[in-house]
Amino acid sequence: MPVTRINIGPVHPSTHGVIRLEVDLDGDTIVDVEPHIGFLHRGVEKLVETRMYMQCPPYMEKLDYVAPMAFNEAYVSAVEAAMGIEVKERAQYLRTMLLELQRIASHLFGIGTLCNDLGQMFTVFMWAFKDRDIVLDLLQEAAGSRMFYVNMRLGGLNQDIGPEFHGHAMKVMDYMERRIGEYEDYIEKNPIFMERMRGVGVLSAEQAKNLGVTGPVLRASGVNFDARKNNPYYIYSKLNFNPKVLTSGDNFARYKVKMLEMRESIRIVRSVLESLPGGDALGMPVKLRSPNPANRIATSSRELPRGEVFMYLVADPQKPYRLSIRSPNFINLAALRHMSKGARMADLFAIMGSLDLVMGGVDR
Amino acid sequence: MLANDLINNILNISFWMSSPSLLYNAIGAIIYLIMVFIIFSVFGYTVGWLERKLIARVQYRHGPTYVGMWGILQNMADLIKLLSKQEVSLAKGSRLLYAISLPLMLSFSIFIILLIPYSPALQATNLGLGLIAVFTIISFMPLLLFMTAVATGNKFAGISAQRSVLILLSYEIPTLMVIAAIGMLSNSYSLQSIVSAQSQFYYVVLMPIGFVILFITLLAEFERPPFDLKEADSELIAGWLTDYSSPYYALSLFLDYARMFLGSVILAILFFGGWSGPSIAPPLFWLIAKAFIIAIFIIMVRATTFRMRIDRVLRFGWLWLIPLSLINIVITYILFIA
Repeated sequence: MPVTRINIGPVHPSTHGVIRLEVDLDGDTIVDVEPHIGFLHRGVEKLVETRMYMQCPPYMEKLDYVAPMAFNEAYVSAVEAAMGIEVKERAQYLRTMLLELQRIASHLFGIGTLCNDLGQMFTVFMWAFKDRDIVLDLLQEAAGSRMFYVNMRLGGLNQDIGPEFHGHAMKVMDYMERRIGEYEDYIEKNPIFMERMRGVGVLSAEQAKNLGVTGPVLRASGVNFDARKNNPYYIYSKLNFNPKVLTSGDNFARYKVKMLEMRESIRIVRSVLESLPGGDALGMPVKLRSPNPANRIATSSRELPRGEVFMYLVADPQKPYRLSIRSPNFINLAALRHMSKGARMADLFAIMGSLDLVMGGVDR
Repeated sequence: MLANDLINNILNISFWMSSPSLLYNAIGAIIYLIMVFIIFSVFGYTVGWLERKLIARVQYRHGPTYVGMWGILQNMADLIKLLSKQEVSLAKGSRLLYAISLPLMLSFSIFIILLIPYSPALQATNLGLGLIAVFTIISFMPLLLFMTAVATGNKFAGISAQRSVLILLSYEIPTLMVIAAIGMLSNSYSLQSIVSAQSQFYYVVLMPIGFVILFITLLAEFERPPFDLKEADSELIAGWLTDYSSPYYALSLFLDYARMFLGSVILAILFFGGWSGPSIAPPLFWLIAKAFIIAIFIIMVRATTFRMRIDRVLRFGWLWLIPLSLINIVITYILFIA
């Protein structure tokens, strides 16, 4: 049968932002997929070279609009490393907690859109958004904003949490734990979901390592690597948690890793809240002039909800000389071609959904 | 009482039709058409509104609220919006097929709607092979769908057309076998006698397997989830309707309501005793009420299920539906005929 080439996107219901896929189909089977990126390219890496250090966090947040705080934190910590600023102890705890809350919100989004791509009539999507909203309320209480926080300051945070936060967060965590159980019940007992997810879009451990994918995609393929564990930052080395690793490497494993990670995040948030030290968490106020960097080159590596981000900062006085961002979205997108060869046309979007890409991070 | 009798006589289509006078026949035909139009439009519109409302409630939303009370006029607003949009014309493909195929599809659906008896009195004609006729015309639908899809020359529509032909293989055979079993039970293919044969037990009691199979195959026939893979919006944008805009897309929405109406009315007639029910309400009421409940069930399936994949649909059809429908025939034969 002749190969049909169809063009999907950049405007398509399930491309999760703007990406164009050139798909070669033999009947209903995918022969090849070629992603074309760049529709959301804003030149952030170049842009920050013209800005003062603390003018850049808002740009960083727009790179991953589903988990903005995580990207922002990675940048701020690179700047802190360059300037040799130690983060206050209480701020370390709070940052850890906020990042885990952000991870829960982001994974909920990922699972909702995945179910949409599998042809669900927005039901899980809307449920996930409702619960994500509750987590966002918590983040608003702690950081002052719902979507773009810009709450990281050099050496700390923009504000400390209030006295009621502990109770609110505990209540939300109990609720989330129950809800995650309900999602698992609803989704995994559906035979259509299971047969469309199991054994589809398999990425072997070898392939995953060669492609350099990170995050849930890597751990679903059976490689135990988590920047929080292997390259610990803040208080992760003190916390008792295990990266969730599954071995099958298919769509279902990638979905399940996210579910397990949400439960793990809930545990982390609880233990952080229980062991929260007193003291001051506020960082330096934002001024145009910041301290001059002590180191010329600084790096930071962080486990984002979607994988590992690596910031490489060459520091000039007052301004970044060069900032290079290794975005997990971009690297994970490269795996799409390998995973979808031989799959069905309908599975292409399930695979895209299980990768959980954010195009802002792909194009930068 | 007199008024009631008068109304009953006016609505008795066979009275008008049995008259030798052409004028009487014409009046009967017009009354019938108006009645069916009212039934169809009220049912279709209510179900269309209810679909949005119910699915919204499942998803913690409110659904339409602004246009009219409880948003009941929202679909009207949408229709006006669709009709006022600019039509995007085709650069390739067949202009003629593009223009006629969707209207043709809708008129086929309306033809089936006209064949169905809505009460002992309200029917066009009591066809001896009414059930066969209905399903024969229904089975033309995939062909017209194929035509609709190919007319645009769109590649997404092409994939959709392939899928429509493929899943035809998996649901058409079980459908016909269930119909055969119904014929065995009622000794007739006339829809009137099928209903009167259910005076003691509804066929859903006598033939539960047959009901489940026909329910599933009608979902596939009329593109309801989980078998909406011809129109799969997250994969194929809108499948065979991708290139249809403005008035044609509005037609496709009508078609959706027509098919929903057909599916629920056919199931109500074949398995739930059609218009039979306590005499506190007219027969027409019972038929519509039963169809309404079935329609709500179909809507809830849509709200909760995922979409099946084409190869799984085929496997499901051949491994489950066809053997089960054979078993259904055998059981029906052993229990009720032999």
